[in-house]
Amino acid sequence: MAVARLGELRRQAADPGLLLTFLGAAAVLGLFVLYPAIRVLIYPSWQDYLGIPSSLRWIQAARNSLVMMVISTASATLLGLVFAFATTRPDMPARRFFRNAAMLPLFAPPFMVAFAYILMFGRQGLITRGIFGMDVNIFGWPGLWVVQTIAFFPLAMLIIAGVLEAVNPSLEHAARNLGATEWAVVRTISLALARPGIAGAMLVVAISVLADFGNAVLIAGGFPLLATESWFRLEGMGDLTGAALVVAMLVVPTAGLFLLERYVVARRAYVTVTGRGSRMERAPTPPLLRWIVVAICVFTTAMIGLVYFGVIAGAFTAIWGRDWSLSLQHWHLAAERMGSLVTSVKIGVLAGVITATVGVLVAFLTSRRLPLRQALDFLAVLPGALPGVFVGVGFVLAFNRTPLGGTLWVLAIALAFWHLPMGYQAASARLRQIERSIEEAAINLGASGLRVLWDVYLPLLLRGLVEAFAVSFIRAVTNVSIVVFLITPGQLVATFIILGMIQSNTWGAAAALTTMLLALTFVSIGLTWLAVGRVGRLPAMG
Amino acid sequence: MRRIWIAVVALVLVAGVLPGGGPVSAQPNRIVVYSALPDLETSLVHREFTRRTGIQVEALVVPAAGTLQARIRTEKDRPRADVFVGGDRSLHIPLAREGLLERYRSPVVQQAGISTDFVDPAGFWHGWYLGALSIIINTDRFDRELAPRGVRKPATWDDLVRPEFRGHFVMPSPVTTGGGYIFLAAQIFRLGEDRAWAYMRALNTNTSQYTPTAPGTIALLERGEATVAMMWAHEAIGARILRAAPLEVIVPPDTGFEIGAVSIIKGGPNPAGARAYVDFLMTRTPQDVNARFGFRYAVRGDVGVPSGATPFNQLKFVKYDLDWSVQNQARLRERWTREIGR
Repeated sequence: MAVARLGELRRQAADPGLLLTFLGAAAVLGLFVLYPAIRVLIYPSWQDYLGIPSSLRWIQAARNSLVMMVISTASATLLGLVFAFATTRPDMPARRFFRNAAMLPLFAPPFMVAFAYILMFGRQGLITRGIFGMDVNIFGWPGLWVVQTIAFFPLAMLIIAGVLEAVNPSLEHAARNLGATEWAVVRTISLALARPGIAGAMLVVAISVLADFGNAVLIAGGFPLLATESWFRLEGMGDLTGAALVVAMLVVPTAGLFLLERYVVARRAYVTVTGRGSRMERAPTPPLLRWIVVAICVFTTAMIGLVYFGVIAGAFTAIWGRDWSLSLQHWHLAAERMGSLVTSVKIGVLAGVITATVGVLVAFLTSRRLPLRQALDFLAVLPGALPGVFVGVGFVLAFNRTPLGGTLWVLAIALAFWHLPMGYQAASARLRQIERSIEEAAINLGASGLRVLWDVYLPLLLRGLVEAFAVSFIRAVTNVSIVVFLITPGQLVATFIILGMIQSNTWGAAAALTTMLLALTFVSIGLTWLAVGRVGRLPAMG
Repeated sequence: MRRIWIAVVALVLVAGVLPGGGPVSAQPNRIVVYSALPDLETSLVHREFTRRTGIQVEALVVPAAGTLQARIRTEKDRPRADVFVGGDRSLHIPLAREGLLERYRSPVVQQAGISTDFVDPAGFWHGWYLGALSIIINTDRFDRELAPRGVRKPATWDDLVRPEFRGHFVMPSPVTTGGGYIFLAAQIFRLGEDRAWAYMRALNTNTSQYTPTAPGTIALLERGEATVAMMWAHEAIGARILRAAPLEVIVPPDTGFEIGAVSIIKGGPNPAGARAYVDFLMTRTPQDVNARFGFRYAVRGDVGVPSGATPFNQLKFVKYDLDWSVQNQARLRERWTREIGR
């Protein structure tokens, strides 16, 4: 074993370029992923940590966050399961339509669902007050529950649908042959085999719910939550220690869920042994089930439609709730703030480029037989365990006193590295699909490690690069949780401006600016589609 | 070939983005301002300032003076801003005592005949507007929900703790906003400290939210999420006139007031620009803008009373001990967080 290792090392030493790149990548990841995380955790003293249980408000916030995690995850996963079911069985109507509709919340900025529902269902809500004349208080945990369910169920749907599609139809037919009713087939075969997907979806959604900042800050009202509390501590009171303590509390469940997902659920795949794949049609769905599922999908699609409709309507309404006439005045105000959109784009571009290059590079490096590549792999996926607010506080502590502090760069880097796992995992998946023999041919012809990367892999990975860029760009442009911590006067981005506008009741301008941001997002998606042919997965915003 | 194109495109994109990348620079024609006044007034005043002096203003608008105070403290090793504007002087003075502000005496004060009551004798802050705390009611909701039950409109501070207002009241947080803090201090000056804390606890039973920013309270009230609020009169008047909000302002006796201040942050990037800014705020135009769009009273005699407001000298204020309020600021905030803290 030791001899083999030595042999490996000697071989790598003959390829110094690769080794240097590896060390460089490790250093960069260490600096921008590990270092801020460690700074946050060691900033408060032992006494501060021990003082947590005596802070009533923080215990309340922790309890509330966990409660929201449970209920929102349950409802979002359930809804995701229904949609996954609706979109993967051939005998369900309008599958394409439901799938596309369900993807829409993923492209919206993280506060948009909350904003739209305040406009639709709040006290001045178009639906609650305008149509039904009711007087509804949407703030607090019930409003947050509804908002988070709609915002995060697409995540669950994507994961579960992936698993459901992989279930071999012949198993279902075999069950029917053995006399099972349609219900029994669904229950014992389809859903049972989807269990790892459901578990995985629940864990991923749970992390998103815990870390949710944008929706919480708008609609939770006085309901304390860990994510928003960290911002109130730092922004409101300059209490860096308090903020660090709160995000440290938050990272415990998110990291736990992350580890659970990675090392328990992902490993334990249910393998179906059936010989060759089958192209048989799936067993028919029971009609009653079909109608229930369709009804739920239609209702949810309407709710999603309201999100987009609400914001666009808000941009054109003179005074929401009082003067329903059409007006263009808000667009003037929003146009004055166009500079913030430009700043958002700048930061998005920087972040996208960084994520794409680092992601592909690290993916390449971990596919080589280099020592400690497991560590590199872990560093590259670690940001997925960290809530946005944790990364925000981390970068404040790590880089605010350095020349990097207060610049465009620190914001772009924070966003880029927080989104690294997506770029990295997508690139890794693509890399694994490439035949090794191509590389071996190049090596036979005398290419070094880096040459292999440049000449062989990059052309094949171009699409992955563009996808990684697009995903990182869109998420950077719509981010709220990291932006609020690192914002400085010279770097006012659109999401921060919008948040401020919503909180000071200039809803019209906020809606107009949000619509512009949305247009930007969709244009980016369209461009990516043209360039690459498909867009990668977009897990929920933070 | 395509790889090279992608690399070139990436480099061009990055290069195109870079020029705006550096930290906020200490160019002679740019200042950085932390403003506790809302967006509208801030941008109007700054536009006038740039027009008058040619100096560009980059402003961070957070309508919560306590929050900006905290930010300035956090940045004391590397101050990023030149000016702190807005919020009562009792929020600027602690920073002066901590050595974070720069002394300056604007010549415009004497030229304009502005009363010395409105300016710091030590030179750390200049007052340029006034505000009065008041009770504000959403008449829409009040008439619909409370009036039918025979509830009378609150006319004094003590009326606010009546049980019929449970869940109907909002106010800004005493920790993050100036208004909230001055309210707390005013109650202490009115009732004495022990009874004041009992009052705050009783009020807490009626409170549905303590908003982190000052306009947040008006926002909630406007939308009908609350019925009664404690806030600066000018915010409500502004909402009523500019946005047709159904708000009524009642200024109770023994109320608190603010002298909105501006101060120069020590070690900021552009001290000369900051001094020009302070001089500018002492002139007529920005105070007039503030009166017309922010509905705040001006300290200059030649600016009229904002429309819809009672003249300042006709209001009845509690006897406010500025020094005591500044000395005990941290202690009171901390006690509020501990005992009521939401």
